[in-house]
Amino acid sequence: MKKSNLDEMQEQALLRIEHTGCWLAFWGLLAAMAIQGILGAGIRELAGEWIVFMGLCLYLLVSCLRCGIWDRTLKANRKTNLIVSLIAGAAVGVFDAVLFLRYDMQWPDLALIAVIPAVITFVLCFAALTVSAAIYKKRREKLDRE
Amino acid sequence: MARNLAVKAARAQKDMTQKDLASAVGVSRQTINAIEQGEYNPTIKLCRAICRALGKTLDELFWEDDNNEKE
Repeated sequence: MKKSNLDEMQEQALLRIEHTGCWLAFWGLLAAMAIQGILGAGIRELAGEWIVFMGLCLYLLVSCLRCGIWDRTLKANRKTNLIVSLIAGAAVGVFDAVLFLRYDMQWPDLALIAVIPAVITFVLCFAALTVSAAIYKKRREKLDRE
Repeated sequence: MARNLAVKAARAQKDMTQKDLASAVGVSRQTINAIEQGEYNPTIKLCRAICRALGKTLDELFWEDDNNEKE
């Protein structure tokens, strides 16, 4: 391993800076994609950001699961997963409603076009969280046994 | 976190500056300053290095009794 130029306090400071940078990139990319989507960008225009964003998400997910880490505050249980999925679904519903307001879509078509993706997002999110939580618990048990 | 006056006093006894101690244990002067000010909680590895450099024990430099427990 390369010798570090930093001492332990500087190393911790750098980790905090990198931590903040990572979450700035995460939310920045998400905001950039949302704004571009609202402004009418298609899949081709969003592909680059989407690949980087998904790569980042996948890296964070796999790394955390390998270390048996879930979250600082949230618990890996059904209730929390349900609430988080509902928030994700609602966010997508609102986003879609805003997106389709551009086309002068009226109620109830607007509600329908917002609700369907919201429900799909909720179901997919809940399924992904349930699977991830199950993997996390299995991994946690294995690490605790070792 | 409370200031670590024991490290500061031991360093003064040895007539060492923060920079001297930092060089002796292989860290930056800012790190030694942060330890003395109670702004940084060093690893046991660094605590031991500081103890060796100052000729003190871990208890003398880093132990706190129940009445003086650092937060």
